[in-house]
Amino acid sequence: MKNILVLIHRFYVFLIFLVLQGFALYVLFSSNNFHKAEFINHSRDWVGSIYSKRAQLKEYLALGEINDQLSLENALLRSQLPGNYLVIDTVMLHYNDTLVKMRYDYRTAKVVNTTLNRERNYLTIDRGSVGGIKREMGVIANGSIVGIVSSVSDHFSVVMPVLHSKFQGSVKMKGSGDFGLLVWPGFDSEIANVKEIPKHVPVAIGDTVVTSGYSSHFPSNIVVGYVSAMDDRAEENFHRISIRLSTDYRKLSYVQVVNDLFKEEQDSLLQQVRALDGDTDSH
Amino acid sequence: MAIQILINIFRIAFLILLQSLVVNRMQPVDGLILPWIYIFGILMLPFNTPRWLVLFIGFAVGWIMDLFTGPPGLHTSACVFLAFLLPIVQKLFSPREGYDVSMKPTVQKMGLAWYLTFAGILTFAHHTWLFFLEVLRFSDFFYQLLHIILSSAATLFLMTIGQYLIFTSKSSEQ
Repeated sequence: MKNILVLIHRFYVFLIFLVLQGFALYVLFSSNNFHKAEFINHSRDWVGSIYSKRAQLKEYLALGEINDQLSLENALLRSQLPGNYLVIDTVMLHYNDTLVKMRYDYRTAKVVNTTLNRERNYLTIDRGSVGGIKREMGVIANGSIVGIVSSVSDHFSVVMPVLHSKFQGSVKMKGSGDFGLLVWPGFDSEIANVKEIPKHVPVAIGDTVVTSGYSSHFPSNIVVGYVSAMDDRAEENFHRISIRLSTDYRKLSYVQVVNDLFKEEQDSLLQQVRALDGDTDSH
Repeated sequence: MAIQILINIFRIAFLILLQSLVVNRMQPVDGLILPWIYIFGILMLPFNTPRWLVLFIGFAVGWIMDLFTGPPGLHTSACVFLAFLLPIVQKLFSPREGYDVSMKPTVQKMGLAWYLTFAGILTFAHHTWLFFLEVLRFSDFFYQLLHIILSSAATLFLMTIGQYLIFTSKSSEQ
């Protein structure tokens, strides 16, 4: 017994090191998955407020550019006013409210922090659960895809952008409608890859890639990017496509968070069917 | 003594804010060079700080840094590792008669060569641990190695310049 105490006394620094290091690694690896550890969320609130102070300062300096962005978007929206369109066939435009229901609504938020050069990048936005944000909502900006909300505190949310090694999104080629998988290979904040598009589908440089609308995160036909390079191998059945992302993460200042009003209905139906099939994987 | 503690706390707090609000926004060569200057606050701890206290300070600094950036636990782990190495490296390069009370781990007190070796080894160790833990794969080994070396050099450069700015000859008299 005495020997053990002597031993502990001699190596107590190393023991403290092992305990602290073990705890740090445990936190790191248990929070690596899509949902971050809950207890991190609460402390993120005050970090978020520091970041938003900085963003306010930065925003003031960038007012000119933001003005340009907003007026551009204003012009776009103005051009979509019904008064700008000629009515060609009155019957076609006659909607019945009970047949058409709103599926998505949008909330705007301001980006207060971004990282671009890590393996796993995150965006912080200044709207949280109080502002109606929930996990797994999609985030878009100026009509192109940004990412998915991965954790939410009262007034801030952290978004997992496309620039994250664990990000996966369902996309399709705009012309042919063939589905693929969007992933980010790292290194460059402007380039991503599209996998699983079979070789018989013709793909050309400059083609537009849009969201498929299969997952409930995004409506369909939100622009993702444009094909910038192809690197096909003879022995593989799928294209290797690199795309240039249409979102410029360096200049992102306002985003829209997409809320799918039918998400729960769609998900629960799929789960019911899976339960009937005896499929234990409830992902 | 109390002043020493206050100075160290303020230095660490200032460096964490400087790191997350200013340095992290600069991304030369598209993220290839990423200096982590906040570890300067740990390197500047007095020579006579007890080892267990260094470990807990490292843990706290890393934890706060994690709140500001990146996945939780990453900087905590790297800083605990750094805090474990710090007294070992200090002992390795100690003068023959040991450190006396007036000595500080600064260029002014210990000389440029001593400081560069001391800070260089610790910075490289911290950055290596951090970057490989973040990426967790060895496939892009040479890219990662270049990343680590350039980032360590940038950190060391900024910390050495900081020495000349912060510890003027007047304040080192205290």
